[in-house]
Amino acid sequence: MLKRALAIITLLIIGYWLAQGLAGVPFGEDKMLVGQYYLDNVKEQTGAVNAVTAVVVNYRGFDTLGEVTVLFIASTGVGALLWKRKKERTAETQGSIVLTTGTRLLVPFVMLFGAYIFIHGHLTPGGGFPGGATIATAFLLLYMAFVQYEIPHKAFEKIEGAVGMAYVLVGLIGLAIGGYFLFDWIWQTWSFGTENIGRLISGGFIPIIYTIIGLKVGTELSGIIDNMVKEEVNE
Amino acid sequence: MNGQYASLLIALPLISAFFVPLIKGLGKKAVKYYLVLVTALQTGIAVWTFQQVYGTGQPIIVMAGAWRPPVGINLYIGHFAALFVLIVAVVSFLMAVFSVRAIEVEPIDKYVMLFLLLMLGATGMIATGDIFNLFVFMEITAISAYALTAYNKTGEAAEASLKYIVLGGIGSSFFLIGVALIYGALGTLNMAQIAQLASTIDPTVAQVGLALIIFGLAVEAELFPLNAWAPDAYQAAPHPITAMFSGFVVKAGLYAMARILYLMQASAGWSSILGLLITLGTLTVIVGELAALRQRDVKRMVAYSSIAQVGFIAVGFALGTQAGVNAAVFHMVNHAVVKVLMFLAIGHVAVVLGGSELERFKGLGKRMPLTAFAITIGAISIIGIPLFNVFWSKMQLVMASMAAGKTGVIALILAASVVEAVYYLRLIHTMWFAGEGEKASEGLVISLMLLVLVAIVVVIGIYPDYVWSLAQRAGSDIFNVADYIKNVPLMGVGA
Repeated sequence: MLKRALAIITLLIIGYWLAQGLAGVPFGEDKMLVGQYYLDNVKEQTGAVNAVTAVVVNYRGFDTLGEVTVLFIASTGVGALLWKRKKERTAETQGSIVLTTGTRLLVPFVMLFGAYIFIHGHLTPGGGFPGGATIATAFLLLYMAFVQYEIPHKAFEKIEGAVGMAYVLVGLIGLAIGGYFLFDWIWQTWSFGTENIGRLISGGFIPIIYTIIGLKVGTELSGIIDNMVKEEVNE
Repeated sequence: MNGQYASLLIALPLISAFFVPLIKGLGKKAVKYYLVLVTALQTGIAVWTFQQVYGTGQPIIVMAGAWRPPVGINLYIGHFAALFVLIVAVVSFLMAVFSVRAIEVEPIDKYVMLFLLLMLGATGMIATGDIFNLFVFMEITAISAYALTAYNKTGEAAEASLKYIVLGGIGSSFFLIGVALIYGALGTLNMAQIAQLASTIDPTVAQVGLALIIFGLAVEAELFPLNAWAPDAYQAAPHPITAMFSGFVVKAGLYAMARILYLMQASAGWSSILGLLITLGTLTVIVGELAALRQRDVKRMVAYSSIAQVGFIAVGFALGTQAGVNAAVFHMVNHAVVKVLMFLAIGHVAVVLGGSELERFKGLGKRMPLTAFAITIGAISIIGIPLFNVFWSKMQLVMASMAAGKTGVIALILAASVVEAVYYLRLIHTMWFAGEGEKASEGLVISLMLLVLVAIVVVIGIYPDYVWSLAQRAGSDIFNVADYIKNVPLMGVGA
């Protein structure tokens, strides 16, 4: 009781203190130093209609590379901690026929929609992370509906590594062509798709990077699911 | 060569880590030697950047995607970053070599990936010039550290890692709220622009934001109320990883703290944040030293001692003067060398003899004379005896606190050194004057690494001038914000 009361009092003090700080932040006022620049220049400079993806992949692409790495570490970490010499699924109950049939019908659509999201990252809301997560959902569905289902690990692991390398390689090509790491060489050097703003073939390297991220996130999250549903078997 | 190639410091560990899944079929040995190769390459690049920066006296500004700051993210590899990126790379290289012998727990390929990404995260934290990017690199460092702490898969390791994850998660949320407040108030994330605008920020926002950021970084930097994870993690993590934690992960957190603190120098209410940091640092020293005094496990004892040293560094940064910052940087360099030496030697003993309890160190002087010699030199150096490197940095800390008029800090440093002397001399006594034993094989490569580190400790101890001048230049890189702003080619957005 005393503990709880003390905790509540401490939280109230911290909350009051944070509120004091928040009161000093001028919300709703014109404080967009950098933000205004993005909004004014996004189309000419990156070819993307979606300002968020342009900021995330192009202007501040370094952060996205970092986030992809964070996810990679999460999946590697789970893999390292749950590593066993031999693992198998030990699920016992098969899904009902409604579930299995529904899954069979639904999985291709979920995958198609996931791919749609990451391919159209520069045009519509979304991008690589939601697209990849949608694809992983399809695999989660398969795991839940079928007792025997397993993703092809060997291939998934290789894809995960290869697309990660592809992201860094795109950046390094930028370093070789434009002189800067993560330089958008497709848009700024080749001017590829300049007349096409607002259509699919535009947006410089954003669609390419989002495809890479989509594949990477999809394989990584599926790998995490796979690691977590399996148990060790003794030979 | 173009300065932009310094971005390879980030690109190389990343692409190498992603490459590991493609070569894991070649076997355990191959993957371990691959790690040695990559860290050696990284050291090469770091040496090149170091020469560039210290040769020209100008920092390297890497602009990702050719966007000029503050629109894009820039890396700022100034005197401090060049020095510490080099230390990170060298420590990683040594630990990669040590891993060949020390790591037998499966899965090795995952260990190699996490190892590379831990190195990448620390490098990025030290090099970045953008506070949100700092957060991203901090997360990379922290999450690979969580996974590596639990890598041995013992119950103890899982517990340590869980503590670390919970504290680290809370800490990074604090940090992120702090960043959000500062962004809300100033409308920019670039460090140079923040420094430029610091005088215009509302004092309450600055205080709350800075305090949140310092609390968030205190988890990584192991300052007192938030460092409960550290001794457990140091003890349970694989031996090479422990040395990396103490060698550079802590340093990256401390540096980030000092950098953000000094960026906001011009803001009102800044001195009260210094007061907060000096309190945290002092408590860290007291708690760390007293806890080290009663440990029975040598690895844990050195871990507590490492935490106490971190307290010294924080106190140095909190003095708020150029001399204090220089001394803190100098102590960071010396501490990195000595603690890597200590953890390498103790880890080596634990690998050969199968554990790091104090009993196992009985008669070590006869069983593994070279390793015992290395531990002795390291211990004497940490106590702060003249002719060894830590003496000079403790001396500089004392002088800086004298100049800043903080006599309490001087008393703290001297008293802590006495406590250190007690427990390190006890260890030395156990190694040389107690117990008997047969000679155990020490291994050529590790003996060589130990000798090189001992040589560095002694050489810095006898000729401190060169490293001290490096530390001074690195320190003015942190303290002198006007130069920092001038060096970053800000485009005039909104200002």
